[in-house]
Amino acid sequence: MTRKTREYFTAVIGLLLLVVGLYLAKNVVEPQGFMRALPFVCVGLGCGAFGHGVSDIISRRAVAEHPDIQKQIDVEKNDERNISISNRAKAKAFDVMIYVFGALMVSFALMGIDMVAVLLLVFSYLFVEGCAIRYRCKYDKEM
Amino acid sequence: MKNRLEELRKQRGIRQEDLAAALEVSRQTVGSLENGRYNPSILLAFKIARYFGMSVEDVFIYEEEK
Repeated sequence: MTRKTREYFTAVIGLLLLVVGLYLAKNVVEPQGFMRALPFVCVGLGCGAFGHGVSDIISRRAVAEHPDIQKQIDVEKNDERNISISNRAKAKAFDVMIYVFGALMVSFALMGIDMVAVLLLVFSYLFVEGCAIRYRCKYDKEM
Repeated sequence: MKNRLEELRKQRGIRQEDLAAALEVSRQTVGSLENGRYNPSILLAFKIARYFGMSVEDVFIYEEEK
């Protein structure tokens, strides 16, 4: 799939999700279970995908006639210092997230929140930690 | 790690923008390199050295930490 096709595909899918979400919200009478949330999830995802697709199309068209600007954007994107800053910021945010997750789990447990919610949080915490270990092993072999 | 980037650039009368364009990095990267706030990757170090027609050791000064 080319970049252009992907942008249009994202915008169209977003628009479809938005329309389906609005239709469901308007026409489903007394929804039960997950149908109560589904229309709004569709609207949210649709708006996000549509906005993302359209913004990509607009920005591509805007720079199409200015190759110098496109080159500058590519340089900024691939600049090793920018990449290094971005990676360091992500690593720092990950460290912070681990403490926030931990504090949240303890708080939820002490507040007597439903066991399912606490367990979901614990498993997502363990999943993230597992991902960190997996990538550490992967990069250890590669480098 | 110290470097002679600013000195070499000024000797040749090159602007930071032009050096950045030649090295395909941002102007901020050139500025940070000159101030010693950022140490380049080995690839960028070679690129810089080659741009000035010198060896890496002539551009970058390695000092062992005490």
